[in-house]
Amino acid sequence: MSAERGEPIRAEQCDSVRVCLDGGWLEVGVGETILQAAERAGREIPTLCFDRRLAPFGACRLCLVGVQGAGAPLPACTTRCHDGMVVDTTDERARRVVRTVLELVLSELPGDPLPGSELDVLARRLGVARSRFAGRTHERRHDERHPYLLLESELCISCGRCVRICDELQGAFALTATGRGFDASIAAGLDSGFANSSCVSCGACAHTCPTGAIRERLDTL
Amino acid sequence: MSGNLTELLARAGGPQAPNALAELKRSRERERALEPDELARIATRTGLPEATIHGIATFYEDLREPRGRRHIRLCTGTACFAAGAPQLLRRIAGELGVEPGCCTEDGETSLAEVYCLGLCHSAPALCDGGVIDAGPGLLERVLAERCADVAAPEPASMLERPVLIAKGDWSGLERALTALGPEQLLAELSAAELRGRGGAGFPAARKWQAARAHDAPVRYIVANGDEGDPGSYIDKYLMEQNPALILEGMALAGYAVGAEQGFILTRSEYPRAKPALEAAIADAQRAGYLGERIAGSDFSFQVEVREGAGSYVAGEETALIACLEGLRATVAARPPYPAERGLYGMPTVVNNVETLANAPFIAREGARSYRALSPGATPGSKLICFNERFARPGLWEVPFGRPLSELCEQLAGGVPGGLKAVQIGGPLGGILPAALLDTPFDFEPLAAVGCMLGHGSIVAFDQATDMRALAAHLLRFGARESCGKCFPCRIGLQRARERFEGCQPPVRGELEDLLAALELGSLCAHGSGIAAPLRSLIEHYPRELGLDER
Repeated sequence: MSAERGEPIRAEQCDSVRVCLDGGWLEVGVGETILQAAERAGREIPTLCFDRRLAPFGACRLCLVGVQGAGAPLPACTTRCHDGMVVDTTDERARRVVRTVLELVLSELPGDPLPGSELDVLARRLGVARSRFAGRTHERRHDERHPYLLLESELCISCGRCVRICDELQGAFALTATGRGFDASIAAGLDSGFANSSCVSCGACAHTCPTGAIRERLDTL
Repeated sequence: MSGNLTELLARAGGPQAPNALAELKRSRERERALEPDELARIATRTGLPEATIHGIATFYEDLREPRGRRHIRLCTGTACFAAGAPQLLRRIAGELGVEPGCCTEDGETSLAEVYCLGLCHSAPALCDGGVIDAGPGLLERVLAERCADVAAPEPASMLERPVLIAKGDWSGLERALTALGPEQLLAELSAAELRGRGGAGFPAARKWQAARAHDAPVRYIVANGDEGDPGSYIDKYLMEQNPALILEGMALAGYAVGAEQGFILTRSEYPRAKPALEAAIADAQRAGYLGERIAGSDFSFQVEVREGAGSYVAGEETALIACLEGLRATVAARPPYPAERGLYGMPTVVNNVETLANAPFIAREGARSYRALSPGATPGSKLICFNERFARPGLWEVPFGRPLSELCEQLAGGVPGGLKAVQIGGPLGGILPAALLDTPFDFEPLAAVGCMLGHGSIVAFDQATDMRALAAHLLRFGARESCGKCFPCRIGLQRARERFEGCQPPVRGELEDLLAALELGSLCAHGSGIAAPLRSLIEHYPRELGLDER
């Protein structure tokens, strides 16, 4: 079992293609995504559901970029480069959508993002301090049964990184996405908590979580 | 979908392994609630992780909703909305003393909403236990516990020789096996320019060619019978009343792409579909049209029917594959496309059941005859259906390209309450005001007026319809059925819904940003498509929506 889709294909392994990124041409490997090409070029594209250790997921849509000839912005994480592709990471339509989506993410939390979390840092970087889209937020639900891991469900933004890292990297399959729509969240085992699941306490979920919904407990150290 | 879960499913036996969703549905029929012990047993039986089973059990509506000894599901789809279902729901809830989505404390009666029982011709409709009733006097019959099954309307055709309502007789497959061969069959399908009838209109031949081109030990044909579009009962008709035509189309697809196994996904909201298809499969096996070495050829083909458990998004092709595998029906980013890596990781053709129902005619009569069915328009014919607001609701086979006004007036007899607008092609289709009804019924002309042909349903709203309530209805449907994977749809539809359900007028600028995020940012057509009817409503009925123009 491997996360074959997540591994970057290096340019020297196969034929390369040329893509234009924000005006500059660069050579990338066949099968590489726009996100990988951008990284190669040193351009930072915002993401929340992406973790380079995992197969691209395409859920958060914060990596939307403009691609010449495409009718709508495309997600950089799941779109493969092709020869002659012209990518604009500053595309105005894409930027507008990304700002709205980030506002939506902030609106689902009952309070501010956890200071220093990936979400907090990203929101500051993109200058999205508050959301216009107030509405129902996630209910407070804490699981403190595990000695080292804490789950605060109200901070979960359903990016799926914990579920996927437990599956693709650890192979423990202790986590799952639950529910659907706005009520989607995550759970361990049969919603029985980390301690009563196949969790091996590796901490990968806490390491990858962008909001601190799953994090290591400091009170039991 | 996780590559490792695909691997686990393969190790458990792939298509032969116990299916988690089927196991959960069976347990749910027996028990009032799915207890952890039972979920753990299902995990063991299916070879899947416990967490995965919990994830599935919390996804599907049928597994989630509380169920009493008497379980009543009222359809609140768009045709039922147009016929006053929201008011009826409140009356039933009041009379029976149970809120929608709840069960009485004694466990006796539960009430739920369901998105579309496919009785749009007799709306409003409900399901009382196993009985599906609809039409005038429904409230009285529910209260008297005297519900009775409603008959399906007889279909009709504008074509001299009907294609889609003529009973399947396997003559197309016979000709393919004896006179065409797989390459020629593909060539005919390609020349016929058969476009997908499920909504997207994608050329069917390209899917077949792509699946055939991918080298693999096994390929699959999947018929999408998950007709979730409220207002549509086209696939319901085909599956329940003309199932052999679908099976023949699947066998033709299997012959063309080199697949020996087909699957059909039906909906639990259409409980008659699976038995009807299974009976037709048994008939075909007896007649030698399904099974080993069909009609003396080298071609073998089997079909299995699987039933969903309440999820609109399961109709999207990647979610459909996950549903057939018994997993959560969430959408996966493409590539890989199903033609490359689909069901159980194998190359898979996913076609709507109506799309497949076109293949027998093409195989039998050839592309030229097929193209002649709709001169100067999209080749072939289309099934359309009208809702209860029309004077003569029902199902028709029509050629492409006729003005909508002709269809609505001459076939369906117009709308007695005065036509205000129609929604064509399902919940993701634009709303067309009565004044624009001269638009031809075809893919491109409808797209030009912000609408879509979609799956072919035509839902009329009469003059009494409150367009703000319609906006709230559509967004509520969207939010409740969002699979929860991509952020714009998961959060955006909830926010849009709240803006129309609240007392405050929705702020136009915020709404425009929400719609742009949904339309341009969503992973699948569910989130991106729902912007279209909202844009029509904003364009044609801004005052009724009561927008705050700040």
